[in-house]
Amino acid sequence: MRRCHFISAALAVLTLLAGCSDTQVENYRVPKESLPPAPALSDSADATPAVDMASTAVPTGSEKFSWTAPTHWSAKPTGAMRKGSYAITGPEGEADLSITAFPGDTGGLLANINRWRGQISLPPQSTAQLESELQQLESGPLHFEIVDIAGTANGAPVRIIGAVLARPDETWFFKFMGPDALVAKEKAAFMVFIQSVTSY
Amino acid sequence: MREPWKSFRDFFVSLKLTVVLMALSIVLVFWATLAQVQLGIWGVQEKFFRAFFVLQRIPGTDIPFPVFPGGYFIGGLLLINLVVSHISRFKLSWRKSGIFLTHLGIIVLLLGELFTGLWQEEYQMRLDEGETKNYSESYLFNELAIIDASDPQFDDVVVVPEKFLARGQTVQHPKLPFRIVPRMYYSNAALQLQDDGQTTVTTPVTRDIGTRLKTISMPRTYKPNERNLPTAYVELVSADGTLGTWLVSPQLVQPQTFEYAGRQWRIALRFERKYKPYALTLINFSHDRYAGTDIPKNFSCRIQLTTLDGSDDREVLIYMNNPLRYAGLTFYQAGFDNNDRTTILQIVRNPSWTLPYIACALMALGLLVQFGFSLIAFIGKRRAAAAIPA
Repeated sequence: MRRCHFISAALAVLTLLAGCSDTQVENYRVPKESLPPAPALSDSADATPAVDMASTAVPTGSEKFSWTAPTHWSAKPTGAMRKGSYAITGPEGEADLSITAFPGDTGGLLANINRWRGQISLPPQSTAQLESELQQLESGPLHFEIVDIAGTANGAPVRIIGAVLARPDETWFFKFMGPDALVAKEKAAFMVFIQSVTSY
Repeated sequence: MREPWKSFRDFFVSLKLTVVLMALSIVLVFWATLAQVQLGIWGVQEKFFRAFFVLQRIPGTDIPFPVFPGGYFIGGLLLINLVVSHISRFKLSWRKSGIFLTHLGIIVLLLGELFTGLWQEEYQMRLDEGETKNYSESYLFNELAIIDASDPQFDDVVVVPEKFLARGQTVQHPKLPFRIVPRMYYSNAALQLQDDGQTTVTTPVTRDIGTRLKTISMPRTYKPNERNLPTAYVELVSADGTLGTWLVSPQLVQPQTFEYAGRQWRIALRFERKYKPYALTLINFSHDRYAGTDIPKNFSCRIQLTTLDGSDDREVLIYMNNPLRYAGLTFYQAGFDNNDRTTILQIVRNPSWTLPYIACALMALGLLVQFGFSLIAFIGKRRAAAAIPA
């Protein structure tokens, strides 16, 4: 009987100790923080449009790719959703190149291309229409599907050249969007850039 | 008084207890190893080892029920078993000093694991080149931050741990002129913007960007390289009535702002932060490869470390196996991203990190002494036997 008392006492003490580390509501002051720059709506990451991610690692694609950008493209800071981000400026304005990756097929190629089309005021396409316009690019072991679509946003002519890299467990999007004339002029550089993408 | 002490001692010095505890730990380790497939390494540590009991929910309810002794329970009893055995059996003699040192090493090892579980902190800091941060972020936990940003010099922050949102627990804080009422919580969710003008989002959210976002619930992830991104709908209710309902998620890069009672407020669900009295700026990140190949040779980052009071302002280089040790924290080069323009530092506080080394040294010394004595005695006996004339 006495042993039971000791075991019970030991259990009670240990159980009480278990409740010791519990986080609570806190209040503190920190030096003034400036807000991070707001991403423009067209600046959206691909599977979760318009809400770019906070700047800490989040689950995106897990494969590693490297690439070489032309020297006249300037790298921009990335949120955690973007794997890479560049601004391309010219007399026509500024274009944005976003590199994003997501697990799975993110709803399929057609849904993503139609979403891009929606962003530049183009009607959705059928699978047959999409396939007739898709350009295939083999770059080493990597296979890209490329679309080049022109439309308008807020009345201004806008073009998107997108390269989609489907991997077994994830999908990578290289989306180049900006003023029609600028993106068209930079298309050759973009295609060279896509071919520089290598896995490591 | 003597009788209870004797009973206490008999129970805890018993070798049977040691054997039972050892058997329980084998079962615990085996079960936890299987469970790691579903829970991941962190989940298993918390559920099986850094707990007094392994808890399971009663089917159909949220009530936890203990089903097996946890790591703290078994380890704690082993520790008591070992210490009490020492106190009651130990006699100071040279011949026993090896055994004593070995057991002391085991005690230090058990205590080391306990202290690590209690005090260790692991955070992350992700820095783009040129970016400065004076806080690290948890890669497991999130917090709801309500910030009074009215003062031009500082921000007054009230942080509510994620568990309050998960439980739907209303929070009233003296610094806030309103109550925080969690209305909905998703432990992992994706957000989709519905701005094509065709889809209408049905949502209880009434304020800001959340009115245009659709929340898609996702299964929780336990993979070590992924994290759960929660989303919550939070209503703020003042004495005058509701201020509205916000959608908050770490996926929203900016805190949402609003005005109330003549003050500027910000609301955000963000990765749990630990502020420091110093700031780090990433000067540059280098990822060197062997010439002509993609094989990594070295990862390193140059950091400017600046204390807020100006007492320290220096450049440091962090690379693989050469962490920065500062203010009780160790900053490891843990990862990189963004085509080698972003570094990810792992920031660890473990005040008891030396204990496993001390424990191993004690055990090695103890075994050396113990076997040394045996060897000397054995050699002595052989010599004595050889000296006897045939």
